[in-house]
Amino acid sequence: MSAEDVRKGREQATNGDGDGNLPVGIDEWRDAAYNCFSSGHKFCREVCPVMQVTHDERHSPTAFHANVVAMEKGHLDIEDVAEDYVHCTMCGACELRCPNTLFTGDFYRFRQRTIGVVRAMRKLAVDRGIHQPNWKRWAERTDQWGNEPVLGWNIETSDAKVRDWAVGLDLPTGGETVIFADCEAAFKRPSIPRAVALLLQAGGIEFGLMSQQWCCGGPMFETGYHDIAHKMVEHNILDWRRNGTKRIICPDPHDYITIIEHYPELDENFDEFEVVLALDLIADLIRDGKVTLTNEIDSTVTYHDPCRLNKRLGKWQAPREILRAIPGLKFVDVDHVTQWSYCSGAGSNLFVEKPELTAKISRRRIDKVKELDGVDTLVSACPWSERPLTEQGEAQGLEVYDIFELVAEAAGFEV
Amino acid sequence: MLGFRLSAQRPPAEHRRISDVVISRYEHVYEVDPRLMQEHVRQQSLPEWDFHRIIENRVEHLVWMQQHFADSVISGDDLIRELEQEGD
Amino acid sequence: MAVPTLDTAVVDELVAICGEENVLTGRSALFNRARVPAPFPLHRWEQFTPQAVVLPTSTEQVSAVVKLANRARVPVVPRAGATGLSDGAVPIRHGILVDVKRMDKILEIDVDDRTVTVQPGINMMKLSQRLQPLGFIYPDDPASYPCSLVGGRIGTSGFSLISGRFGHTRDLVISFEIVLPTGDVIRVGDGGGRKIRKSSSGYQLKHLFMGHQGTLGIVTEATLELVTRPEAEFSAFFSYPSYLDAWRATGEFARSGLATLAGVVLFDEQKVAYLRRDDEAWIPAPDWVKSITAVAMYGQKDEVRAGAKQIMRIAKANGSTYAGDEVSQGDWWSRHDRYATPLHGRTRSGQAVLMSWHCEDAAINHSQLPAVREKWHWIVDDLRRRFDTFDDWGMFSYTNGAFRPGGDYLTEIDVGIWEQRYDEEMWAAWVDAKREIARVAIEHGGSMSSCHGSCREGEVDLLPLELGGGFDVMKKVKRVLDPNNVMNPGKYLLDQAYEEEA
Ligand SMILES: Cc1cc2nc3c(=O)[nH]c(=O)nc-3n(C[C@H](O)[C@H](O)[C@H](O)COP(=O)(O)OP(=O)(O)OC[C@H]3O[C@@H](n4cnc5c(N)ncnc54)[C@H](O)[C@@H]3O)c2cc1C
Repeated sequence: MSAEDVRKGREQATNGDGDGNLPVGIDEWRDAAYNCFSSGHKFCREVCPVMQVTHDERHSPTAFHANVVAMEKGHLDIEDVAEDYVHCTMCGACELRCPNTLFTGDFYRFRQRTIGVVRAMRKLAVDRGIHQPNWKRWAERTDQWGNEPVLGWNIETSDAKVRDWAVGLDLPTGGETVIFADCEAAFKRPSIPRAVALLLQAGGIEFGLMSQQWCCGGPMFETGYHDIAHKMVEHNILDWRRNGTKRIICPDPHDYITIIEHYPELDENFDEFEVVLALDLIADLIRDGKVTLTNEIDSTVTYHDPCRLNKRLGKWQAPREILRAIPGLKFVDVDHVTQWSYCSGAGSNLFVEKPELTAKISRRRIDKVKELDGVDTLVSACPWSERPLTEQGEAQGLEVYDIFELVAEAAGFEV
Repeated sequence: MLGFRLSAQRPPAEHRRISDVVISRYEHVYEVDPRLMQEHVRQQSLPEWDFHRIIENRVEHLVWMQQHFADSVISGDDLIRELEQEGD
Repeated sequence: MAVPTLDTAVVDELVAICGEENVLTGRSALFNRARVPAPFPLHRWEQFTPQAVVLPTSTEQVSAVVKLANRARVPVVPRAGATGLSDGAVPIRHGILVDVKRMDKILEIDVDDRTVTVQPGINMMKLSQRLQPLGFIYPDDPASYPCSLVGGRIGTSGFSLISGRFGHTRDLVISFEIVLPTGDVIRVGDGGGRKIRKSSSGYQLKHLFMGHQGTLGIVTEATLELVTRPEAEFSAFFSYPSYLDAWRATGEFARSGLATLAGVVLFDEQKVAYLRRDDEAWIPAPDWVKSITAVAMYGQKDEVRAGAKQIMRIAKANGSTYAGDEVSQGDWWSRHDRYATPLHGRTRSGQAVLMSWHCEDAAINHSQLPAVREKWHWIVDDLRRRFDTFDDWGMFSYTNGAFRPGGDYLTEIDVGIWEQRYDEEMWAAWVDAKREIARVAIEHGGSMSSCHGSCREGEVDLLPLELGGGFDVMKKVKRVLDPNNVMNPGKYLLDQAYEEEA
């Protein structure tokens, strides 16, 4: 696959059949939209985390597609719908549960794509000067500081501080393998990248830090600020090349997805890089006995399948395997297909623009945990989810851990 | 390979023809003959990881759906064997 | 295009009743509540938008909204999951759309008397997920099980795929509360008693208030059967060299008299040919396979096992070829997912196009199936000959009778329609064909609709033909209960009820 293929893949649907009414950038989603519109069964509704809370058809994935058809027919403009498109965490449940993906997506090599449509609409809104106030501010700060303002509007998250989480770990700069710590974890929950780093070191993996890491750009792609996103992408790729980097380890699934989905189309030679999820790597190290878990952890946990891992990447086995390898731990599992309809509410910066909606979604997630007998801890594997889940967990007397924090503890590290 | 590599995401060129309208690139996995998707709807360039993920998720979903309705499934193949043994 | 606006005084009153956050008048709120998945004249979308949407949260709010509408003579249209295939939830006269999705609570689970009481906005799959830990299920199982809602199931009096064992919606709903077109609230069952399954007191009002497509009121609460979750499932798919062989076998399976039998499904030759386009189970099937049957059973392990063995004996005796566990199980488990897939569509030259799905859903007796089948395919073939925008997706027949399946069949012919190409000529041809398909069903002693309702353009013209004098009674009932014709007006030719009065 080449960068050209990827670009074509994104622009699959522009064809001669259209009425020619769709704005550039939306026109390429015409078939994706009509693929939904003409089936209209709405299997997505009951798995959509937003719909489960708002119950408003404007916020349904079905509407997100129907709006494109309505725009083509001249019934709606971006002004009519821009705010509707805020109501999405880009969790991927709708795309996955859609029979057009699940039952025929592979056969036709044409699957339902809702996230792409939402992304394109948000971009169109921004391009037309329709901004969501907090997303705009968030984008400006990210542009200014290089990293997202995860500590508040006035606490700088500059690239000068992005390596602070690694203090005392003795990590080199650059090298063939680097760790890419996401904004949220690097600044707000540094215990996560520390845990990952300690585990990798214990497993004998050599890796370094980027000389100057910027935000992966994902949230900028997601909220419509593509120019800023592109700047981030270019900067990070340049940093890798300058330092001879060939392999990037991502503790955060959001970063991983951004890098594999967006970077290749912006760089002709992306094939020189390998992108690895820390989760896969650490599961391997435990499996091979290179990291041994000897400290007992005396709690009863359940696992939150982060949407990006479970619904967007199909990765649900490794975390369960890891949790089952921790001595002393009692693990009450809720299967990953049931969890297609679960979400923390954090994704695609919903918490920035609609914190009350995020809170409702995460409260429901914690309610689900409370239904399980004896569970005292919720474990996730995505720093972004842990922000709202921790808040709601505190309110309901439940601890929320990141899986790497727990594994590091079981391996005898303090993080 | 553990991680993502772009060049590994292209579908294999070799394929078997199964019927006038269906081809196969992997054992027991069928795909539309790409010639059917030229005029009106064009195929997406689905990365191979995504292609295989859909197949896996489908199987997982079907098993989940069954468990939603009943605890266990009775096998027709077993029943046929049993009937044969009983000389029925 | 302008959507006619509602009097601001009415909107203000709606806000006063439901609260600001539950009243919507923006364009996207209206355009996204115009259609359902049934064939839709896309080129005339703006004719089907409501003027305001309310999302009530209580019976009191629904009642107050309906009272207001009745007073102000504004149409009211109930909408649940919006998956209906007969345009019931389409506001063809604009007006106020009452979307019940915010009424999705489980109000009571009564394990002793085996009932669960819910609001109408809950989905069956979600409900059963909650019941599972208690050892129960709510087995109203349409193919839309993952997306339709209890309110819509009552509004359409729906069909369940496993009704041979568990019954249809009407058998699983014990009683419900309904807001009448004047805003009064009543509770209906067989007789009285919220949790009573069989009563001889008075008229059987439960049946009257089911399947009326929202023309007689809005259901706000329902008490449903709590059914013991089956221990075991059995599903078997069998192959045949011809439709008639499969048709005969279907009758024999259905006559088995087994209590665990939940349903038998018959796939005709066009359906099998169609499945060979993209269904992994049937692509590799040998050429001689032209028709298929499927049998499904549920219950306790011992009874299902014994019953399944009997099915296998019948199969052997009537020349059925078992398709193997993998196909049988996988295909049954995907029964909800393989219908409305747009890429099934093909132009005459074989190119894939995105088509929407029309599902004809007549009820036909077993004896009449072969004749109906021939006529239906002829109608759809003719349509395809004239327009390269229709596609024949073949036929299914499902046992239709609850608890004693096999005498009659929900019989669908699935038609792919390339909606993006609609113009008036194509739409008119479609409506004519639709009417002819329905006429065949009636002429063969059947009903136009087993599950979706028969209020779509085209077929609805034949309602008086199907119901005879019953249609006159229907009009009288409508006029008495809805004196101002505000509840979902324009459906089921019921405007005639008022013309005659005038
Ligand atoms: C993929 C797919 C498969 C399907 N398979 C089946 C099947 O196997 N069996 C079957 O029966 N149907 C099937 N259907 C059709 C549809 O799902 C059913 O008709 C279902 O009962 C509609 O429910 P809904 O919640 O979507 O209702 P809606 O479409 O919202 O409404 C249906 C009707 O009920 C009225 N209504 C809604 N809420 C209320 C209320 N609270 N009080 C009074 N009236 C109300 C509406 O006005 C409308 O007339 C299928 C549809 C799809 C898309």
